[in-house]
Amino acid sequence: MALPKLQCITHALKNLSLLSHPDQRALVCVNQVRAMSRVKRRHTVPPFWLPKTTRTMYPEHMTPENEVFLKDVIEEKYSSPLKTECWERGTWAKNSMRCGLIGRKIGIYPMWTKDGTRLLTTLLQVSDNQVIKYIKPEDIVQGKRKRYRELGALVIGADHIDPRIVTKEYYSVFSEAGVMPKKKMSKFLITPNAKLSPGTPLYASHFQPGHYVDIAGITIDRGFQGVMKRWGFKGMPASHGVTKSHRRGGNIGSGGDKARVLLGTKMPGHMGRERRILRGLKVWRINTQHNVIWVHGPAVPGGVGSYVYIYDSVLPDHRHTQENHPPFPTCFQDEEEVEEELYDQELHTFREPSVQFVEK
Amino acid sequence: MVMAVVAAAALRSSSTRLSRLLPGVCGEAWGHQARRGAVLRVLPFIPTQDPDVIKKMPEDFRAVYPEFLPGPKPEYRNRLREKLERQDMLARRSVMPIPEFYVGSIMAVTVADPNASGKNNRFVGICIQRGDAGLRAWFILRNVVDHQGVEIKYEMYSPLLQSIEVLRLEKRLDDELLYLRDALPIYSTFPLDMEPEVMQEGAPVPVNPIKVQLKPRPWHERWERKNLQGVMDLGLPERFYKKAKLHEKPWEKYDLMKEYRATIPEEEQADIFREISPHYPLMESTRRRGKRKRVLPSIS
Repeated sequence: MALPKLQCITHALKNLSLLSHPDQRALVCVNQVRAMSRVKRRHTVPPFWLPKTTRTMYPEHMTPENEVFLKDVIEEKYSSPLKTECWERGTWAKNSMRCGLIGRKIGIYPMWTKDGTRLLTTLLQVSDNQVIKYIKPEDIVQGKRKRYRELGALVIGADHIDPRIVTKEYYSVFSEAGVMPKKKMSKFLITPNAKLSPGTPLYASHFQPGHYVDIAGITIDRGFQGVMKRWGFKGMPASHGVTKSHRRGGNIGSGGDKARVLLGTKMPGHMGRERRILRGLKVWRINTQHNVIWVHGPAVPGGVGSYVYIYDSVLPDHRHTQENHPPFPTCFQDEEEVEEELYDQELHTFREPSVQFVEK
Repeated sequence: MVMAVVAAAALRSSSTRLSRLLPGVCGEAWGHQARRGAVLRVLPFIPTQDPDVIKKMPEDFRAVYPEFLPGPKPEYRNRLREKLERQDMLARRSVMPIPEFYVGSIMAVTVADPNASGKNNRFVGICIQRGDAGLRAWFILRNVVDHQGVEIKYEMYSPLLQSIEVLRLEKRLDDELLYLRDALPIYSTFPLDMEPEVMQEGAPVPVNPIKVQLKPRPWHERWERKNLQGVMDLGLPERFYKKAKLHEKPWEKYDLMKEYRATIPEEEQADIFREISPHYPLMESTRRRGKRKRVLPSIS
């Protein structure tokens, strides 16, 4: 068990296939023991095997000229376009899987459709998304099913951070691709024809209005809650002799043969801060200048400012077809002209005249 | 506590100084603040020193277009979202002008309605409440039709709205007129074919000092506890006023933190005004046109 911390980190990185040395990948951190009967659903601290992102800052006593010089160096280093040449772009086929995007929930506001129906939309900002790494199907952990054995993965990062404040280990993940270190990363499973070369920027126009997406995120942390808030129990009456148990759950099990509390009984406990996926949300509108996506409904997991992961919907009704599939493998916005505001056909844009009903 | 009182006193004195500097802006804003309820509260705004912005920006902007200031809760705020929302609001205003109005103004709203004959519905009433910010902004109109009180809540930026007219532009003594529900029906009865009233361009918005007679209890709310200015003597036994006295919170007007949490900081207000200042000509022209229209019927 007594692996030095750094060694542990490198092991873990190899596990995650983020470091590339196929001969060393066989080294797997086997010392990890899980003693709990059930795996914890939430953690308040990140797992110890994840590399630390930011380093400890100490006074470096830099002169203002040096500061300016460093800034220039960073700017110069990261302003250049793709380091590697673009890979050949695949074409869409049935059962193709594209990568998703990392977005930020920035708020909720109403929109109206052309028939006057009001709907609430959630705004998701896609900020500085870039491909960091492509992992081949044979390099990732193999699944049992054939479908999963054929899938590769793209690691996508979002939101720049200052490269001066990150640790060496974390920086090395990005230096290969030649992109600025990112605040948030995620691995998206893809079919190999949807692969993108590292450094490719991804924009909100990756999706199109009218298509459907699945959105994953961490729900709002509500802390330790009682059964009324957590499970929607009714509680007990306010009067008629009830004392001290107005918000209690009541009985949790019977005696007799069972003589125990059944597993999964709804009881007080920690509520929220869990990963949840909301499936089949319609994309209503896209702003390609600010990279904002308007999706249906106010119930996207997480509070304002939290990160969410946006995927093409896997629901059978919302699968893409040959005639109607989104830009594949992604929309290369720098190469083609894209309108600033994209609207769904049914959505009322605020520049249009008021909705009117025609008398039949 | 003493500190807070002293600070508040200093603040008040500064506000009086302000009102001397900017007559008609700060005075009324502060006078109304003590009684504000659900309505967004705003601090007096000192215009920027930028001459271009000053030229373009009307002084009473916060009072005329309050929904351009976002909700003050920090956990729901995001600058980009607010900016996009304002763009949409301006886009909608360029299609359907939304005139200046206040709680107490008498308005006519035309709405597309698939079930109405002619597919349009026009309703006249007095604005009894106004709330929310951004695209969610709404107001409630009240009227008595066939001895039946009717209230309709309209969303200002809904594309179903065909037009909003202000028939009589005025304010009342209170910031919410919800007590009209418990007043005699005569006070909220307005003819549906009411003519728009004459108003001179540039004149200040008049405040109607009318006092309303409430019906005897039971009421929807305990109006004796609301410190209403626009009602006649309620005629209640002494015990009601004693109870009301107990529920008073006279210290709240000195609560600087409460004030702070309920408002948008002044610098941010300036940013917002600066951002939409290119659109003032459009908004101001609709405002002026509305007033001139009201002059026309009297001439003919």
